[in-house]
Amino acid sequence: MARVPHILKLLSGPEDIGRSRWFWAVFIAACVFMLVYPRWLSEFQATNLAYYLLNVPIALGLGLLWGYCGVLSFGQVAYFGIAGYTYGIVAGNMVGDDFGPIAGSLCGIALCAVVAAIFGYFVFYGRVQNWIVPILTLVLTLLLETFLGQTAGYQWRVGSVQLGGYNGMTGIPGFQLGSHVVMGYDFYYYVLIAVLAIYLGLRLLVNSRHGKVLLAIREDPIRTELLGYDIRARQLVAFVLAAVLAGISGLFYVQWGNYITPSQVGLLQASLPVVWVAVGGRESLLAVLMSTVALNWLNYTLSSEGYQYALIITGALLVVVMLFFPSGIVIALARELPKRGLFGRRKGHAA
Amino acid sequence: MDSFATIVSVIYQFATNGAFLLLSAVGLIVILGMMNIINLAHGELMMMGAYTASIAWHRNVPFWLCVILAFFVVGIFGAVLERAIVRRFYGRELGALVVTWGISLILSQGALAVFGPFLPAIPIPGGSVAVGQYSFSVYWLSIIALCGVLIAGLWALYNHTTIGLQARAAMQNPAMAKALGVNTDRIYMLTFSLGAGLAGLSGALFAPTVSIAPFMGQQFVAPAFITVVVGGAANVITGAVGSSVLLSLVKTPIGFVFGAFVGTVALLFAALIIIRLMPDGISAVLQRQIDRRNRFA
Repeated sequence: MARVPHILKLLSGPEDIGRSRWFWAVFIAACVFMLVYPRWLSEFQATNLAYYLLNVPIALGLGLLWGYCGVLSFGQVAYFGIAGYTYGIVAGNMVGDDFGPIAGSLCGIALCAVVAAIFGYFVFYGRVQNWIVPILTLVLTLLLETFLGQTAGYQWRVGSVQLGGYNGMTGIPGFQLGSHVVMGYDFYYYVLIAVLAIYLGLRLLVNSRHGKVLLAIREDPIRTELLGYDIRARQLVAFVLAAVLAGISGLFYVQWGNYITPSQVGLLQASLPVVWVAVGGRESLLAVLMSTVALNWLNYTLSSEGYQYALIITGALLVVVMLFFPSGIVIALARELPKRGLFGRRKGHAA
Repeated sequence: MDSFATIVSVIYQFATNGAFLLLSAVGLIVILGMMNIINLAHGELMMMGAYTASIAWHRNVPFWLCVILAFFVVGIFGAVLERAIVRRFYGRELGALVVTWGISLILSQGALAVFGPFLPAIPIPGGSVAVGQYSFSVYWLSIIALCGVLIAGLWALYNHTTIGLQARAAMQNPAMAKALGVNTDRIYMLTFSLGAGLAGLSGALFAPTVSIAPFMGQQFVAPAFITVVVGGAANVITGAVGSSVLLSLVKTPIGFVFGAFVGTVALLFAALIIIRLMPDGISAVLQRQIDRRNRFA
């Protein structure tokens, strides 16, 4: 078992904020808290809590891509939508079969990976300039929205499932393990454990050798290439991984709400992952995790109270953060607070 | 005469698609060529142009004046935007993309909050002319002609004025231009303002053909971005013209056979293939040709 200390060391490597013993104590305490917290919540509240968490994978994927690899994508919601719709089609056609939801999830993730690989091949192997990837990913998601929007009517159905045009696809089955339907408290734990596993897995990745190469590409692509790394392949792998993570969020979303509409891949939705990542701090997975949960909570609270300025506030937040905290609010706090001696030595943050 | 009319009709189809792409993208390309940043609020600036035109038109301002008004209103707004925000992001392309996206969210949602979900439409000016069995919209014919005037004007501005000379210098080597006494700050502001003004102008010109709503900019965004990606940033005029002609050649036949949406999808695929072959866009390829010819001349 010599590998366990090695993995722990890797996990606490230098490529994310929060590495002290204090941090890990707080982190574990926060995890334990998240595990027992639903005891004080109703099933409805626990499901809402799951909603704040379910966007974490798409945000972490974008954080990896933008913050660690230097490739910005505005079209992560396209993969969110692809996975969601694919799950709806496959699982919806296999109603009654216990393996339907699992097959749907696998198909959704596979299709995300395939689309991202084809798209990524053209942009990364073309060695395009920096600004082209975000523009083309945005075009992809806009076209997907237009396509899904015009799929109203009876001729647009796959098997027994209708795509539904702008009204979206409804009645998507929830997730199932064997014959056990994952909903309510169970759904919360399912999302929580997946999110924690993805976070820790990505933290291992960025501190591993492969992660260091990604960072090197971000810092200086030409030098990295001259050192003998195939930067095109590395960027492509990171792009596909980010797409798969976005797909996982899409799966959680349709399993949570049992519906999906084309506006989920529209321009407004496309801006949200960028906001979460930019506001927290793209160069830290932990910062992205925290800001995603916090901003989802904020947005949900604002819009459920019928507050029509929610998106103006989101846009203003993005502009203010880019102007005054270009590295992100959480990262700025993590750097400033220890200097001011507010927390003694470096301290972590509870999620 | 039938075959003549058919030929005119085909040329008209290609020209309208090309003019649409050119007008959607020209403001974006002007800014990209100078500062190497993409203005993601481009669609919202077009929306502002259409709003300006609609508000002025319904106060009995003649349409041509509405269009000019839209150019100046949005141009001045662009200058303010550049001074206040965009200026801080030169050299940080991705940061500029993100911050202009924030601006676009504020503008579209702000327009929704201030003006409501739509503004009164503007009827299409001009009637139609008939050639053989086909009839053509005078308005679109004037837009096509206007594209020619616009490109000629831009060419004259870049090639025959001091400010254009300074702009080209700042594009090629900003540090050297600055050392030689060019006020690059002012050039950047004027260029951003010009790009924004052109977006406003296009928005006003398209205003009679679409419904005027807070999110109307979105429908221009995808074709505009594809045109810019294919055009590249090496030369504003060859990029804009070359790319709109090329993409019109793709979009027109496919759109004619399979419908408008498939035509736009074909644009995306064309863009992916073109950047695989010409990563810096068609303008870089044309620029190399021009440079080579000049060297041997």
